[in-house]
Amino acid sequence: MPAAALTVDGQHVTTKLAMKMEDSLQAYAVRAACFIGELDVPFSEEFDGHDFGATHIVAYLGEEPVGTVRLRWFQSFAMPERLAVIQRFRGHNIGSALLERCRMQALGRGCNMLYAQALPRDVGYWEKQGWRRLVPEEEGAQPKRIVAMVKAVDPNKPLPEIEAPEAVVLRREAQLDSTGMPHGTVSN
Amino acid sequence: MTAPTSTAAPSGPVVTAKLASTSDELMQCFMLRAAVYMGEQHCPYWEEFDGNDYSASHIMFYVDGEPAACLRLRWFSSFVKLERGAILKRYRSNGLFHFMLGWAKEFARKKGYPKAYGHSQHRLWGFMERDGFRKVDDKVFHFSDHEYGAFVCDLNVDEKTCPTVFTDPMVLNRPEDQLDQQGILEKSAERVPTNPHTEWTKPRIQAH
Repeated sequence: MPAAALTVDGQHVTTKLAMKMEDSLQAYAVRAACFIGELDVPFSEEFDGHDFGATHIVAYLGEEPVGTVRLRWFQSFAMPERLAVIQRFRGHNIGSALLERCRMQALGRGCNMLYAQALPRDVGYWEKQGWRRLVPEEEGAQPKRIVAMVKAVDPNKPLPEIEAPEAVVLRREAQLDSTGMPHGTVSN
Repeated sequence: MTAPTSTAAPSGPVVTAKLASTSDELMQCFMLRAAVYMGEQHCPYWEEFDGNDYSASHIMFYVDGEPAACLRLRWFSSFVKLERGAILKRYRSNGLFHFMLGWAKEFARKKGYPKAYGHSQHRLWGFMERDGFRKVDDKVFHFSDHEYGAFVCDLNVDEKTCPTVFTDPMVLNRPEDQLDQQGILEKSAERVPTNPHTEWTKPRIQAH
């Protein structure tokens, strides 16, 4: 981590790219603990078929894997998702360290936009990390299930405003069948 | 255990069990344990994944095809050790614990193991006793923040059918949870033995 060293109880927080099977397993285990164990997400939704086409970043406190994020690469943006920090290690900015690592990865690839889909209740968290809504909130609009959030990878190159309606920028991700092709048709 | 599939109740959800035999199934096992032990019981990663996973057998249990529970078995010389049993929260109170122990005991019995052994968290002792296990002794020990007792259960091995060195070699080659069904290697025997590596090995043996 090039950013200021983060410590929890005197132990350093480090982040690394999952490069070996064991690293990936640690990333998955942290997600399973948070999403399946804590939030009761079914296994087959959590492990959705996109894990082997993505970059995984793991955060460690000493030797212990305590957080992870999955970064997927699209033509014009990189998408952090499945951000998770083990319950008892929350409140120490480990999530920010993971998102910062995502930003650095994107910078290294010459990608200038980070895009994420957040739950409405988490929008405040993302805004604190320097993200903004892709489409400005409309007054009196219906409550949304998911909010598209973006952040410029290079703060000196701000993102252009987007004209597209939210229904277009929030296209539902295709669910893959066993051959890796989308199930049925994908609706906007 | 004649078939890898079993139904819990005629009208209820379909529960199936199988020996984890692919990396996907192994992954499901590990993720269920991460959910239950790391997520719910706050077990550190390195205690949960303790280094014994790659010398063990893992059993996966599915409810209507969705990964629901898992159990790890380690084979000692005179007994099998049942450990790392985990049932996802949403599938509890459905008799899965009983199904899991029963399946594991039957699996070990068919392999010829006379005893099943396990460390049980204090709160589950009643369930262990109901499933035919008894305390090994009065000792209570603790690790990973829980109190445990050692339990054992006698298995009624059938000396006539359990595998020995005199069992048909092709039966011993079968997938371990389907010893009574023809396996892929028996089908491979339809090909003639061409001994493909002989040419390469012969001169090396002669050189010695």
